[in-house]
Amino acid sequence: MTNITELQSLPTFENLKTSLAFEARAVLRFLYFAKIAEIEGLHGVAQLFEEMAEGGICCSHGTLDLLRHVGDPDSDIPIGETNSNLRSALQVEMQAFEAIYPAMAATAREDRYPDIASWFETLAKLKRSHVETLRKTLEAMRQPSGGEEQ
Amino acid sequence: MTRRTTSAEEVASRRYDATNIKVLPGLNAIRQSPAMFAGSTGAEGVLQLVNEAVDNAIDEVRSNFCDWLQVCLKPDGSFVVEDNGRGIPVDLHEKEGIPAVEVVLTRLHAGGKFSNDGTYVRPSGLHGVGISCVNALSEWLEVDIWRDGFHYRQRYARGSPESTLRTLGTSRKRGTRIRFLPDKLIFDEATDFSHLQLAHRLEELAFLHPGAVIELDDCRRGQRQRFQFVSGILGLLDRLNESRICLHAPPIRIHHNAGDLELEVALQWTESYGDCIKSFVNGANTIHGGTHVAGLRSALSHAMNEYACEKGLLDEHAGDRMTAFDVAEGLTAVLSLSLDLPSFEGQTKSRFTRHAAQQRVETAVYERFRKVLRSESKVATAVIGRALEVLRARRSIRRVCDKNRFEQKNIEVDAEVYKRQFSIRSTNWHDSALWITDEQLLECHASLCKVEEESVGLDVCCGSGIVGAAFKGKVSKMVGLDLTPAMVALAETRLDEVHQGTVYDMPFEDATFDLVVTREVLHILPQPGAPVAEIFRVLRPGGQFITGQILPYGEQDAVWMYRIFKKKQPLIFSMFQEEDFRRLLLEGGFVNLEMQEYLQWESIDLWISTHETTPLHRREIRDLFLHAPREARCIHPFEVLPSGEIRDQWRWCVFSAHKPT
Repeated sequence: MTNITELQSLPTFENLKTSLAFEARAVLRFLYFAKIAEIEGLHGVAQLFEEMAEGGICCSHGTLDLLRHVGDPDSDIPIGETNSNLRSALQVEMQAFEAIYPAMAATAREDRYPDIASWFETLAKLKRSHVETLRKTLEAMRQPSGGEEQ
Repeated sequence: MTRRTTSAEEVASRRYDATNIKVLPGLNAIRQSPAMFAGSTGAEGVLQLVNEAVDNAIDEVRSNFCDWLQVCLKPDGSFVVEDNGRGIPVDLHEKEGIPAVEVVLTRLHAGGKFSNDGTYVRPSGLHGVGISCVNALSEWLEVDIWRDGFHYRQRYARGSPESTLRTLGTSRKRGTRIRFLPDKLIFDEATDFSHLQLAHRLEELAFLHPGAVIELDDCRRGQRQRFQFVSGILGLLDRLNESRICLHAPPIRIHHNAGDLELEVALQWTESYGDCIKSFVNGANTIHGGTHVAGLRSALSHAMNEYACEKGLLDEHAGDRMTAFDVAEGLTAVLSLSLDLPSFEGQTKSRFTRHAAQQRVETAVYERFRKVLRSESKVATAVIGRALEVLRARRSIRRVCDKNRFEQKNIEVDAEVYKRQFSIRSTNWHDSALWITDEQLLECHASLCKVEEESVGLDVCCGSGIVGAAFKGKVSKMVGLDLTPAMVALAETRLDEVHQGTVYDMPFEDATFDLVVTREVLHILPQPGAPVAEIFRVLRPGGQFITGQILPYGEQDAVWMYRIFKKKQPLIFSMFQEEDFRRLLLEGGFVNLEMQEYLQWESIDLWISTHETTPLHRREIRDLFLHAPREARCIHPFEVLPSGEIRDQWRWCVFSAHKPT
C-alpha cells in the first residue's frame, strides 16, 4: 500500500469494509449451519461448513490486515497494537450499548415485536458489561506496570 | 456383543508380558490439569477414576480372559476394583528396566493396547493414560497382581512408587486388584459421589458383556448389588423402556459383523417426547454420541422417508421430508459398536470421532431397517405414523409463530396469543418441570406475605392453583384466575374459588383484593405493563403483590439464557433482568419493593421434554449448554452429568411490592 490517507477517501476503502462485513457474516453463517448439520447427524456437511468458516476467518483477518493502518471500519480508530485495539473495541461496544441497540429496540417496539425488542435490549446490556471490562483493562494498561501481570 | 471364543493355542500364542508394553514419552501434566484427564475435580472426576479402572477390567472381559469384576466403595473414601483377568505383567520391561506393571502405572501412554498384536481384542481404552491417570490423581494406590502362581504387590503415593514390586507368596489365583484413594488435594470432598451413577454404569456393562458377573459392594451404604445378564443390548433396551409406553413389540434388532467392525443395534419407538439413544464403542459409553450415532440417525431418516414416499404418505415432489428429529422422536435405541481402532474426543471418551465409521454404520442400519419396514407392516405403520405426527406438529408450531407475528402487527393486546400461551400447558403440568412443585420455592413466595389473616388473595394465571395454595393459612380466602377450563377445574381442588378469564381484563371490581400473587407469567405476555396495571387496579390501596420470576444472574448470561428459553418456548416476549423487572413494577405504580433470591436446580431434560419444544430446539438447547460461552459460564452454574443429563441452577427472584395507601 502506498498512501494510507489517500486510501481512506477512495471507493476501495468502502469495498474493504464491505468485504470485511461480508466475510465475517459468512463465517458466522457457516458455523451456525455447521452446528445444525451436526445436530441433524450430517457430520460430513458439518465438517465442510467448519472448514469453510476457517477459510472465512482467514479472509476477514486478511482484510483487517489491509485496514489496519487506516482504522477499524466501525470506530475509525487505527488498529494494530493492543492499546489501540482496546480503544477501538471500547468505542464500538460503547456505540452499540448507547446508541445502536437502544434505537433498534425502540424500532422493534414500534413495529410490535416485543420479543425482538427484548433481544436487542439484552444485547445492549451485554455490551454495557463489555464496556466496563474493556475500560478497566485499558486503565490497567495505562498503569506504569503496563498492566500485564500474567 | 458377540463373545469371541479364544482357543488354548491362541491364548498361549498371544503372549502378554513386558514385550507387549510400549512406552510413549511424557508424564507429569496430569496433576497440573486433572480436569483434562478426569473431566472434573468434583464427584464426577472421582467417578471417572473408578471408570478408568473398571474399563481396564472390562477390556480383559472383552478379550475373554475374565468373567468377574468387583467394585468396592470403602468407608474411608477409597475404592477397590478387582478382576479375575490375566493380571498386569510383572516381568522387567526391556527399555524401561522396571517391572511392566510399574511402566503401566507411572508412564502416560503406556499399555498393551497400542500393539496390534492381539493382546487385547477391541479395547475401549486406547489412549493409555487411563490407569496411570488414576495413579497420578490418587493419594495412594496399591496394586495386587495374581499371576503365574505368585501374588505381587506394589504401593504408590501420588503417582510415585513407595516400594518396589514385592512377591507376597504363591497363589493359584489370577487377576488384578487396584485400591486407591482419590487425592483430596485435587478432588473436592466427594461427599456427593453418586452410587446410582456407578451402579447404572456397571449394570450397563453387564448388559453389554453377557455372562460376565459384575458386583458392586458399597460398604458406605451397606449395599451389595450383583449384575449378570444374558439378554445383551435388548435387555438394556427393556430396562430403558421400563416406564415408557412402547409403540411396537418386540424391539427391532440389527446385527452386522464385517470383520473389523461389529455393530449391534436395538430400536423401539415409544410415546415419549425426545429420544433416548445410548451408544457404546467397545463398551465405552459415548454419552455425547458421535459419528456412529450420526450414522444411525441418517440411516433411519433415509429409510423412513423412502418408505413414506413409496406409500404416498409424503409428497416427494413437493419436497416433503421428515427430518432426523422427526423420525427419532420417541425412539429408544441402544447402539453398540466394536471395532479395532476406536478414536474418541478426550480421555473421558464421551464422544466417538472416527468419521469412516459413520458411513459404515449408516449403510448397515439402512439396509436392514429398510427390510424390517417392508416385512413388518405393523411396525412400519406405528413408527412412521408417529414421525408424521411430529412433522405435522412441527409445522403447526411454526404456523402458530408466524401467525402470532402477523397478528401482533394489527392488534394492541392479542387475546389469541394469550390464549395460545396458556392453553399450551400440558395436563401433567406438575410433572413437566421440577420448579412447579418445588416446596422451598413456594415457601419463598409465601414467606413474603405480610397481609392480615382475614385478607382475600388472588392467584393470577393460577394454573393448578399450587402457588395460591401455598398461602393457605396466611389469608382467609384464596381466589384463582385462569384462562383454560381445564386449569380452572384443576385449581378448584386447591383454591376457594376459581374464575375463568384473562389477565388483561380481569373479571373483578377495582380494589377487590388484599393480595395478588403470580409466578413465571409476565415474561410470556407481549405487553407485561398491561397485566401489571390490571393487578394494580384490583388491589386495594396498601395491598401486596408477590411475583416470582426466573432471572439471569447478570448481563453476561442473559443473551445465552434468552436463546435457551426462546427455544424452549417460542412464545416468550421478554428476558427480564433484575433492573427491568424492578422498573416494570415501579412504573406500574408499586412501592416498597423487596426481593428474595432462591437458587433452584432444574432438570433441563425434563423441562424440554414437551411438545412446545421442537426436537431440533431440544438438541440446540443441549448444545447451548455443552458449548456455553465462557462469559455466561463464569456467572451461571449448571452441570452436565456423566449420564449426559443437564442440571441448570435457576435464579428465582421473588418480588414483593405494595400499592400505595
